[in-house]
Amino acid sequence: MSPPVGARPEHRFVEHGGEVEVELTAENEIGIFAAGLDAFAELVAGGEDGEPTELQIVLPGRDRTLLLVDWLNELLFLAEVQQFVPRRIAAIELEADGLEATVAGHRGTPRPLVKGVALNGLRFEQEGGVWHGRVVFDV
Amino acid sequence: MAVSSSTSELVQLDEMLWEIPAASRADMRVPARVFADRELLEAILADRALEQLQNVATLPGVVEAVLAMPDVHQGYGFPVGGVAATALPDGIVSPGGVGYDINCGVRLLALPVSADELGARREPLVHEFSRAIPAGTGKHGPIRLSSDELDEVLRAGPRALLARGIGCEDDLERTESGGCLPGAAPAAVSARAHERGAGQLGTAGSGNHFIELQRVDRVFDRAAADAFGLTEGQLTVLIHSGSRGLGHQVCTDHVRVMDAVQARYGIELPDRQLACAPASSPEGRAYLGAMAAAANYAFANRQALAHAVRESVRRVLGHDAAQATRQVYDVAHNVAKVERHGGRDVLVHRKGATRAFPAGSAEIPADFARVGQPVFIPGSMGTSSYVLAGEPGSMERSFGTTCHGAGRAMSRTRARKTIGGAELRRQLESQGIVVRCPSNQGLAEEAPFAYKDVGRVVSVVEQAGLARRVARLVPLGVVKG
Repeated sequence: MSPPVGARPEHRFVEHGGEVEVELTAENEIGIFAAGLDAFAELVAGGEDGEPTELQIVLPGRDRTLLLVDWLNELLFLAEVQQFVPRRIAAIELEADGLEATVAGHRGTPRPLVKGVALNGLRFEQEGGVWHGRVVFDV
Repeated sequence: MAVSSSTSELVQLDEMLWEIPAASRADMRVPARVFADRELLEAILADRALEQLQNVATLPGVVEAVLAMPDVHQGYGFPVGGVAATALPDGIVSPGGVGYDINCGVRLLALPVSADELGARREPLVHEFSRAIPAGTGKHGPIRLSSDELDEVLRAGPRALLARGIGCEDDLERTESGGCLPGAAPAAVSARAHERGAGQLGTAGSGNHFIELQRVDRVFDRAAADAFGLTEGQLTVLIHSGSRGLGHQVCTDHVRVMDAVQARYGIELPDRQLACAPASSPEGRAYLGAMAAAANYAFANRQALAHAVRESVRRVLGHDAAQATRQVYDVAHNVAKVERHGGRDVLVHRKGATRAFPAGSAEIPADFARVGQPVFIPGSMGTSSYVLAGEPGSMERSFGTTCHGAGRAMSRTRARKTIGGAELRRQLESQGIVVRCPSNQGLAEEAPFAYKDVGRVVSVVEQAGLARRVARLVPLGVVKG
């Protein structure tokens, strides 16, 4: 597995009347998934750190925007059911038909905020040599 | 007269009702109407809520008009505070028109104790609420359910908890739809949703969910207040929660199914989150069965939360006070229901909007038959909440619906930048409000100034004839996730 996340994947929370909208930028596609993880981690971080843990995530899908939604929904599920607070992508393989990743984090008390990841306003595309993503979390 | 907006032209139909004509966009099937006065309309125009409402007006099978309540604000797909009715059997059902938190709603309990009688026991009582009610995502509740027991909750709602001593028949009678939507199909609820829901019954959730101790500050309608069992000075507890992770997962699962199949039904939409299918289709029926199951779980969840409140009352105020703590009513504000309006069966989607049936409706308990269905409108944290009663105008103008809250006026990001949680906590406590919230950040995001003026919202629905004020409740203490 390779972790070519690329330099400086970034996320930025933008004004949204009711929910939490986040814009993601990165130098490659994998970086968008990393930036999404960072945004989600920021939303759920809180409480004391517990045992360090690595979890595997395997997701099928050819539509990158939906794969990003599935990625974040998987992190949400793990936070809620396994009290897993993600920190970083330890390894990832992104193929045309899905992804396989190892996510490093810790057991803890994820902050209770995110209910779901909407399909509203989704973005996953390259523009001007930079990859851009956008998602809206229902909170 | 007309008021220009960034997206369309609003025409004023009467003092409290505005319309974006169907002709304003080629894909709109019906007009988009908003209940508001001028000041609220300005606030509503500050975000994309009305553009989203116009998108809702494109849904196949939508009838008469889509509606925005005065607390409307931007959501994801449907605006929060939006109402849309689709003709049955073949009009669409849209999971996004219900939202992730299926049957998010409010339940009001009335205590047989006045605020004066409570005296110095206020802080201990709020503290007991915070100890008895886990608030957050993933927090395991006090009720452990086997798979079969969870399915029984999905089928029967709070009735499934009576054998455990949680709630009573009177509670069921005083719950919208008796606490059980027909047609619940546990088999249409995914394994993942079951997994999220199994341990969360009796937890409140996060964001704007809360348990609030209140005092009846003013009664506006004596006859209705008598019917609801409310008197000035009395203590009440307002519970705001929903279907927790189980309902969130039901929405996630079925939005994706409909996103994948809608082209097969010839449906094209301006927003992917509006994903839908005909209510009569296999996908539509599956969603409605899963949604009813999640709604029943939410009714049961609020029943479990009410039980925890009663147990807290027992510990602080004694057995008799707990025994005499009655449920006023429980109403949903995120749900789709089959109802009859305008002489036909329609599926009414209420996303951040409350059913408000008037006196004489066969759907409401006999105790309220002469005054109308109770409706509870939570204010923002630190401000008043209102008890309303449904009015005939709701059946004539809004598919039997009124508002659901104050409605956000500011993003969470901006609220956090405007005030720190610690400072807000000090401000609320200086007003005499006991606050229990583990997250200063979460507290700041729910700051009172991040919401519209709930008094103005309520005034609009009253002047529009949708519901009337019965009582005002002021906060004494709040528990938030």
